[in-house]
Amino acid sequence: MTSQIIIALLAAAVQSGTPILFATLGEIFTEKSGVLNLGVEGVMILGALAGFVVARQTGNPVLGFFAAGLIGGLAAAIHGVVCLWFQGNQVVSGLALTILGTGLANYLGTAFIGMAAPGFAPVAVPLLSDIPGIGPIFFQHDVLVYVSYLIPPAMWLFFARTRFGLGLRAAGEYPAAATAAGLNVLAYRWLGIVGGGFFMGLGGAYLSLAYTHLWTTNLTGGRGWIAVALVIFAFWRPGRAVFGAYLFGGIMALQLRMQASGTQLSSSILLMLPYALTVIVLVLSSWRKRTSDAPASLGINIAPAE
Amino acid sequence: MKGALPLIRLEGISKSFGKVQANRNVSLTLEEGKILALLGENGAGKSTLMAILAGQLQPDSGAIFLREEKVQFTSTEKAITAGIGMVYQHFKLVDAMTVAENIFLGQGRGVWLNWKKMHREVTALAEQYGMKVNPAARICDLSMGEKQQVEILKLLHRKSTILIFDEPTAVLTPAEADNLFATMKLMVGKGKGIVFISHKLEEVMAIADTIAILRRGEIVAGMAAADVSSIAELAECMVGREVLLQVDRVPLEPRQIVLKINDLSDYGLRGVNFELRQGEILGLVGVAGNGQKQLVEIVSGLRRPTDNSLRILGLEWARFFRTAGWDRALAYIPEDRQGLATCQGLTLVDNFLLTTRGGFVRGPWLMRRQAGIKAARLMKDFDIRPLDPDAFAWQLSGGNLQKMVLAREFYRKPRLIVAEQPTQGLDIAATEDVWKLLLEAREEAGILLVTGDLAEALALADRIGVMYNGAIVDLFSVDDEDKVALIPRMMAGLACALPSPTESTPRLWSAPR
Repeated sequence: MTSQIIIALLAAAVQSGTPILFATLGEIFTEKSGVLNLGVEGVMILGALAGFVVARQTGNPVLGFFAAGLIGGLAAAIHGVVCLWFQGNQVVSGLALTILGTGLANYLGTAFIGMAAPGFAPVAVPLLSDIPGIGPIFFQHDVLVYVSYLIPPAMWLFFARTRFGLGLRAAGEYPAAATAAGLNVLAYRWLGIVGGGFFMGLGGAYLSLAYTHLWTTNLTGGRGWIAVALVIFAFWRPGRAVFGAYLFGGIMALQLRMQASGTQLSSSILLMLPYALTVIVLVLSSWRKRTSDAPASLGINIAPAE
Repeated sequence: MKGALPLIRLEGISKSFGKVQANRNVSLTLEEGKILALLGENGAGKSTLMAILAGQLQPDSGAIFLREEKVQFTSTEKAITAGIGMVYQHFKLVDAMTVAENIFLGQGRGVWLNWKKMHREVTALAEQYGMKVNPAARICDLSMGEKQQVEILKLLHRKSTILIFDEPTAVLTPAEADNLFATMKLMVGKGKGIVFISHKLEEVMAIADTIAILRRGEIVAGMAAADVSSIAELAECMVGREVLLQVDRVPLEPRQIVLKINDLSDYGLRGVNFELRQGEILGLVGVAGNGQKQLVEIVSGLRRPTDNSLRILGLEWARFFRTAGWDRALAYIPEDRQGLATCQGLTLVDNFLLTTRGGFVRGPWLMRRQAGIKAARLMKDFDIRPLDPDAFAWQLSGGNLQKMVLAREFYRKPRLIVAEQPTQGLDIAATEDVWKLLLEAREEAGILLVTGDLAEALALADRIGVMYNGAIVDLFSVDDEDKVALIPRMMAGLACALPSPTESTPRLWSAPR
């Protein structure tokens, strides 16, 4: 009996961790190129709305999913224009993008509040879903969860084993060295921003197309901020981001279940849990002095060519 | 050797920044399989010249010929494709990546990286040139010498034929420098051409085939290394003696001692002894890197001496810096006027307050308005343009900024002044102003003038000390003509009065042939 509860809780952790995982991977991708994008929350919610609207209008959730990525990339490109073209402050621009994105999505989405859209339903993976324990936790979800399993290894492969990954990392570590090696650092930073925005948008789409199938205001509910913190927790490694995302997903799922079970604890305390964990995680990861894992030129704009 | 193919030829290159002429009509030839040494003091124009060759700067006039074909390097990429590679003093390596990743950065085609093949290629290339590197090691775990090897491998991997080394031994231990020279010999043996920038005479004599000497932006001498009869000859060419400017220096009666150094032997210095009195200028000359920096940093309080070998204004070093007020004490005029002396992003008033704020405080309050009035008056007196105390430091030319620093420091009425390369990079007019100001300041203070420009020391100083290898070789009156004639020999370490070497003595380069 208890083992069933635990398995159900872990499966819920995977499901509620998935949007955070998409967003965290997106932010890792952007930060590896040396750009800090604090607009994750705004990009995510714009992606969520775009995915919802497109899926609703076309009846095709797959189209909605990709539309969300596209809008995410476009929204992040605003950050690129400010920081790469106009050398604007990355922190300020990112914060502005969050405020702009949430405001815009809530405004445009007013007409859709409470409406439903076709989304992704759970599909059990043959064979794998029959494995006791592992199966119900990992292989009885919707297809977007399975997509999210593929991205961390793919991203690792990109960073470590491709020429473009090498260039992207160099742009984030030491742009002058990359330039001296004949690379176009600006192009790599654009790739980082837009590519990262794509994944953040997908994270948003997961919320509106698989997690809820509904549109409500403030759908992302701070998950973008958790993703920003998780990048540090993950030491900028896609593989570690998986653990972080599921840890937070687990806390969120637990919090929901505890509320539902009518616990004596105040709901305010429970709602606070994921964010309290964010603070603790940040303190612990800086405590370990692994700051050297951050891309060395993170947040530093590159001087324009003469 | 005649008949060798000129790899690259510079003809009549000139470049100026505002009023300062960094290069004037420079012509140079580098032949295949040869090492060309470019010798010159800091600020002589070596870096500008090499930046032009590497495509970072465009010359105002003149031409570059690559294998007798006229070329124009409008970008660094073009210079790189043409086979010109630069080993910078500050390595352009990504610390968080491996040796192989750095070497292959921006190289090759295709999407996938093949680690095994990359590591094999790096190892093979390194072996060809007698280097030992671990291709999988991360850059941040390497020593300076190993990092430099990676920089060299980057260029060799790109098949660069002309390699420029910008003061490559500055960061190396003597053993690493020996390795570097062996590698350089191997490289020229394979037909590459090397430009070796340095101000270390022994190294240049040990490794170069031809030597070109730059001073104040001009080539003042060019010769085959085999034709150089003595290192002193090189030293003399490098620092120069001809008088460009004449200022009237009336000797003053020296008064009380403001600085007394007694057998100071820290940080590579060896038994430095001298006294400096109010009313005199002591000029310390020598090729850069012979202990001047360490001495200046100790006297000005940036480095702590290990014993009580220093007395400033009659107090022990530690006591002096603990008790000294903002005025009537010590003023330091650093070489790095845009870094150590001023904050580029602050206004001139705030820069003025950096060292004089002690005079403009009342309780917790800073009297910025009074400071502004004072700064404006000083700027008028010192003829600093633009005459606007709210201008930012970065808006001033080098000469005006230097005058601002002098105005600020003299306002403190110092009794000991340490002036480090005070006219480096300034045009003639600004140099004359600075010289006059220093001579005036001498009435109230003792001045320790550290300079790489012998003409400056001869024009200003009452006594001259020559530094070589951490020691003051000799200290004499500027009127002692016999000794003055010997200065180039002393700077090259050839004079008799050297203290006996101790075990900590850095090893000297053996003279060639």
